[in-house]
Amino acid sequence: MEHPELKQALGRLLGPEGPEIGCDECFEDLDRYVELELAGRNAEAQLPGFKAHLSGCPACREDYESLKAFVGGEQAL
Amino acid sequence: MSVASFAAPVELHAALDDESRAWLADLRSRGAAHDDAVGRLHELLLRAARFEVARRRPTLPHLRGNELDDIALEAADDALMSVLARLDDFRGLSRFTTWVYKFGLYEAAAKLRRRAWQGREIPLEPESWGMFETATRGPHEKLEQSELLDAVKDGIETALTPHQREVLVALAVNGVPIDVLAERLDTTRGALYKTLHDARRKLRDELGPRLEVID
Repeated sequence: MEHPELKQALGRLLGPEGPEIGCDECFEDLDRYVELELAGRNAEAQLPGFKAHLSGCPACREDYESLKAFVGGEQAL
Repeated sequence: MSVASFAAPVELHAALDDESRAWLADLRSRGAAHDDAVGRLHELLLRAARFEVARRRPTLPHLRGNELDDIALEAADDALMSVLARLDDFRGLSRFTTWVYKFGLYEAAAKLRRRAWQGREIPLEPESWGMFETATRGPHEKLEQSELLDAVKDGIETALTPHQREVLVALAVNGVPIDVLAERLDTTRGALYKTLHDARRKLRDELGPRLEVID
């Protein structure tokens, strides 16, 4: 059954398949992860499980997107 | 709190950049230098909080400008307390200002998420399964989709504990923000995510091969 919408709905319900960190670790390392990404480095290699958590936790995803947008904007000034 | 364990990455002992070192020295000093640094820190946090408020403003049409200003200021005040209390936790793995900004953004986002749900009842039962009702190509596919949804509902009912069921349904089906639910259930965001993670694992195991047919 090919169904991207259904797959997306199941993904939201079931979360990431692989190992992931928790919200506390996410907050702890968020600044480091964002700076690695903005520097064009492989953030996931240094902080495994971070990306999976961002796909499973909408609130942490929002915090990540905000920090990346804000710091990226500050750097561009 | 760790949801999953990993081989510990090599800890970086990053040398502090000059700006970060100066911030820490000023904030740990006494007298006028300290007071000045605290004032500058509050300005940074207020800028971050205002950025977050502006970003979310379109989703909060019922809030007036002065209410949003108050939320940003309150977020900056709370973030300032958090930063000063956790100064020794800064490991120098990012610039000090990036570390600081995350507190300002986090406090503003959490306050705005809570504000959006103020006075609303938290739905702990499924409000809708619309997310699973997608367009199908024919009766066979419709039947497969219906069977999968039945299996999901059955798995939620039978494989999870009552607490796991409430948390999974509120967060992953009804879209309640995790910090809003944490506040209502008098727990932490980290503890709730651990419950959500365990519930998802159980449900995934329960659904087993049914998931393999979804491309």
